[in-house]
Amino acid sequence: MATPQNTYELSYIVNSVISDEQVKELVSRVTAYISEAGGEIIEVDEWGQRRLSYPIQKKRNGYYVNMYFRSSGTMIPRLERTLEIDDNVLRYMTLRMDSKMIRHYEESKTRAKNAEKPVAPVITNDDDDEDDDE
Amino acid sequence: MSNSTFKEPAYVDYKDVELIKRYLNEQGKILPRRITNVSAKFQRQLTTAVKRARHMSLIPFVSDSLK
Repeated sequence: MATPQNTYELSYIVNSVISDEQVKELVSRVTAYISEAGGEIIEVDEWGQRRLSYPIQKKRNGYYVNMYFRSSGTMIPRLERTLEIDDNVLRYMTLRMDSKMIRHYEESKTRAKNAEKPVAPVITNDDDDEDDDE
Repeated sequence: MSNSTFKEPAYVDYKDVELIKRYLNEQGKILPRRITNVSAKFQRQLTTAVKRARHMSLIPFVSDSLK
């Protein structure tokens, strides 16, 4: 019995006050969690540090990660629960991709390949982490 | 706003902040269809995208000046 597979898009914001190693560790932990739960990673796109449009938990900056994977839907609640529990994840959002979204994703991929530049806006921000610590 | 050469995409990506911002007023509110002149289908897509982008802090919920 094959469980139906869906394509998902997950983006989350990591607290960027923690060290780079801790951020890297968290990202690889999330990715490993998905693949261990039977998910197939399509792409992990780390946007890096970005200024938040409004403060979240008194932080003004966040480390954005945007990833795509295929898996059965049964693991999503468990994945979201681990993200919810982790204090260093400020925000997360999982979207099940329908055909339109998949087409949009593929089109933006080919466009990026042709233009040789990232589709996602990578905005370098001024580093003012000093006042972020809690 | 209503640009004859602009093709309304079938899916509005919440990550496409540049596109979304065109349909917000300076406070960050979604402009009504009366002003934007887009199809109902596109306006619905846009509304969802705006709400997602707000959640991920890509655009503000409220702002004194967005632009």
